[in-house]
Amino acid sequence: MFKNLDPLLHSQLRLAVMSILIAVEEADFVYLKEKTEATAGNLSVQIDKLNEAGYIEVEKSFVGKKPRTTCRITTLGRKAFELYVKALKDYIG
Amino acid sequence: MEDKEINEKESLELITQMIQSTQHRFEKNSGGPFLIWGYLTTILSFTIWFLFKITYPEWGSKSYMWQYLWFILPVVGGISTFLISRNNEQAIRTYIDKVTKYIWLVFGIAGFVISCISMFLWSTPILFIILLIMGMATTLTGLVIKHKVVTVCGALGTLGSLSCLFISGIDQNIAFGISFIIMMIIPGHVLNRAAHNQKNM
Repeated sequence: MFKNLDPLLHSQLRLAVMSILIAVEEADFVYLKEKTEATAGNLSVQIDKLNEAGYIEVEKSFVGKKPRTTCRITTLGRKAFELYVKALKDYIG
Repeated sequence: MEDKEINEKESLELITQMIQSTQHRFEKNSGGPFLIWGYLTTILSFTIWFLFKITYPEWGSKSYMWQYLWFILPVVGGISTFLISRNNEQAIRTYIDKVTKYIWLVFGIAGFVISCISMFLWSTPILFIILLIMGMATTLTGLVIKHKVVTVCGALGTLGSLSCLFISGIDQNIAFGISFIIMMIIPGHVLNRAAHNQKNM
């Protein structure tokens, strides 16, 4: 079992979202949904969890008349992700 | 994808897969800013040359007043670029986007300031300077986005700036306009084509 792994990141969908956000400056909800192939409802719940933990920032805006949700990783999130990857490497040896 | 636990191997595979999926992408209308500034500069360059030719020598030194038409460029180009970027529904912004934005901000401001100095304070070989710095900005952009056509066209534009040193007077506008076709219009269309092909893959 992964006793030392961050439980917030140790979930398929949340880890996928964090992996995308670590590689870019920002990504919108539609892009995350397309890349993770998750349902809008489930993705929305997981984004809220990451946001509440302070791992990501969520910004709601409008492009023309269309609403847009943009996510970006925070310094705390980046640190947590790095620790998670380090812990994974330790497990693998 | 769901909210489920995964083992260490799956975790690493997922991280790799998601990071790779963000690479090598060209957004729709990537070449838009190149095309706006490229066409606008080329049209203005040839128009000013033409207006000068039909009014000189009858108008004497007043024919040089046509050069003030260059100030249409930052106004129309700036507003068009702002409107396009505001309405552009870009799904992601990468560090490369950020770097290219700053490249053009720095080189664009430098070009504008030098143009104003040349127009109002003291005369400089302005078309040579503008072509040189815009060529450098295009080359840098090509290197950052790892696009050979943009890099080569930028380098050709930079080299083309030398032509403005060997051609005298208003005829420099012709070399300037042709250089912008090579340096911005061609890369703009190539980038848009790349984005179109990527979308259809």
